[in-house]
Amino acid sequence: MLSSGNCSGRVVSHSLSTATLNQYPSLLRLPQINSSTSNLAFSGGLSRSRTSTPRCFSSANPFTRSLFFRWNYSSRRRMEASTASNFAVRAAAQPLKDADQLIDSVQTFIFDCDGVIWKGDSLIGGVPETLDMLRSKGKRLVFVTNNSTKSRKQYGKKFETLGLSVDEEEIFASSFAAAAYLTSVNFPKDKKVYVIGEDGILKELEQAGIQYLGGPEDGGKKIELKPGFRMEHDESVGAVVVGFDRYFNYYKIQYGTLCIRENPGCLFIATNRDAVTHLTDAQEWAGGGSMVGALCGSTQREPLVVGKPSTFMMDYLANKFGILKSQICMVGDRLDTDILFGQNGGCKTLLVLSGVTTLSMLQNPKNSIQPDFYTNKISDFLSLKAATV
Amino acid sequence: MPGEGEGKAATLVKADNVRDLFDSVDLFLFDCDGVIWKGDKLIDRVTETLHLLRSKGKKLVFVTNNSRKSRRQYAAKFQSLGLSVNEDEIFSSSFAAAMFLKVNDFPPHKKVYVIGEEGILDEMQLAGFTALGGPEDGKKHVELKSNNLFEHDKSVGAVVVGLDQYINYYKLQYGTLCIRENPGCLFIATNRDAVGHMTDLQEWPGFCSFLFSSDNFQCFLNYIRLNYSPFVQLRNKLGTWVAGAGCMVAAICGSTQKEPIVVGKPSTFMMDFLLQKYNISTSKICMVGDRLDTDILFGQNAGCKTLLVLSGVTTLSALQDPANDIQPDYFTDKVSDLLELLGP
Repeated sequence: MLSSGNCSGRVVSHSLSTATLNQYPSLLRLPQINSSTSNLAFSGGLSRSRTSTPRCFSSANPFTRSLFFRWNYSSRRRMEASTASNFAVRAAAQPLKDADQLIDSVQTFIFDCDGVIWKGDSLIGGVPETLDMLRSKGKRLVFVTNNSTKSRKQYGKKFETLGLSVDEEEIFASSFAAAAYLTSVNFPKDKKVYVIGEDGILKELEQAGIQYLGGPEDGGKKIELKPGFRMEHDESVGAVVVGFDRYFNYYKIQYGTLCIRENPGCLFIATNRDAVTHLTDAQEWAGGGSMVGALCGSTQREPLVVGKPSTFMMDYLANKFGILKSQICMVGDRLDTDILFGQNGGCKTLLVLSGVTTLSMLQNPKNSIQPDFYTNKISDFLSLKAATV
Repeated sequence: MPGEGEGKAATLVKADNVRDLFDSVDLFLFDCDGVIWKGDKLIDRVTETLHLLRSKGKKLVFVTNNSRKSRRQYAAKFQSLGLSVNEDEIFSSSFAAAMFLKVNDFPPHKKVYVIGEEGILDEMQLAGFTALGGPEDGKKHVELKSNNLFEHDKSVGAVVVGLDQYINYYKLQYGTLCIRENPGCLFIATNRDAVGHMTDLQEWPGFCSFLFSSDNFQCFLNYIRLNYSPFVQLRNKLGTWVAGAGCMVAAICGSTQKEPIVVGKPSTFMMDFLLQKYNISTSKICMVGDRLDTDILFGQNAGCKTLLVLSGVTTLSALQDPANDIQPDYFTDKVSDLLELLGP
């Protein structure tokens, strides 16, 4: 009798306004990981993709021009293919038995960081030796993380502190991805970016020569909601970038919402939409998906996501290093970001159980994301290898 | 837009149809913001209109998605504006959340975590539940150190989320942990309005008094005035809005990957509750509101008559926009038009 039924889900996905489409290239929206029952089911499709031909994109920079075309045009095909194949029955993930075979079949390993290389601030056992072994075999190593709190430079320092020698150029954080995206679409120099996020994003924007407002400082700003309340906002803000933000508050929500709703053509960019993240090794913490969700709720728009599972970072690094996707193995601990990222990109995928995903989660009938292989942790590359000798 | 559920276009309330509407309705359901008041100012001649309706034996109920106050606090607001409205006649979404828990036999030994303001806390306490969170937690910070575990009360059985100007990471994390880790923990949203309104506009007194007339030509002119009047354009341009409860709710959806149970409009929960209370059928109810996607949809979902007023956030052009597929039965400029048309 009592209806607990609800008309929730009134958050409507709007396509980019005409003004935005004319100003910036239209980009593929990702299938939404949308589930009320299962965290792992992959649903949604390419319902939000637009016209079949890529928009004209004029750029003096051949790198960004080719990047744009490659990402916008061919990624749609890949997404269609991988989406179709995701809906088709994929073979269940195989436990990794012959590490050598996998290692020999690829040129590049892309590693997620949290739950694969480290947990919180502690290195996972056997990682340095494994990375050394791979390098000695001539493999390229790349590190891709959705964590936007640090810049690549700051991540470089973290690797160093943990005793790993990793070059800054090998690190792709979603903070970097946001700045790289804006650069790739020739974000106008006279426009600013409003940041709902942490230091990492600010540093990357600065590095890219992009003006910004907001960030952790705005975490100290208070508002009072009462009749007559009115907030001024900078009308030259051309993009709002949202990522994980532990200084999140109403001021930022209101500012970001104002920019997106009222500045014509203002972009809404999300570094990532992870529901939870492992800021400490002890427990889960509400992730960037929370802050992004808040802005979706008030603007009733969906963001452009630059972090996993969007293929933006994959296309960027493939372009930059001149590598073929089929020659890449993505190694991660999360099905709906890392593995989906690899599959969307057309790479091989290896799930490690040293992070958030357990074997039972992988084998749960509700889970439809199956990596090619799974193993306990990356140092299995060494031990499994030894066993086959 | 063509498709199922497309009713005919909304009818302007006029002298020749107002009596039919009036006679067929026993209970008028009013939204508050943009219908009865705007900010802290009463809308023109609302007092007299409500008085007329009551004197003719109509029941009045006030339904608001605004969860910042409890019904008691709303009754006080009505009183301060010179309207005598009983607490029992008010259904705020804060009250709805408490009632939802009550009718679903929420165990008294379990607690409720509130991401919202005083109104929700008050209603929870009035209903006899133990509430944690609320504005107090707006001052708490999160320490991110390896040895620091973020603790949460394992006896929290429901997280209630509404508009919260004190939202912060502490609350997001607390609510997320409760929903993800406490078995069976409910996720309840007071409402999902994307924006709310904090207008404090000058009224334009007497603006509408010349609009309605029994002369057809005059009505045509009035229609033009209504649609194109610079007053209307200006008024709407000056309106300010603020991020609404939909924001906080979506934040928790983002971190839990769950959808909430929504107790406010357009969910029919409050309607079911008051149908039971007044023992009345929905065909005898008219929902009067200013928002299509909450008020009017709420009325339609329940099968009531619906009357849109243009004194709030919805403009005539928004109503008549081809992209809009929510058509109320009737529309008019403001509530006091009923008074004008019905006469003494």
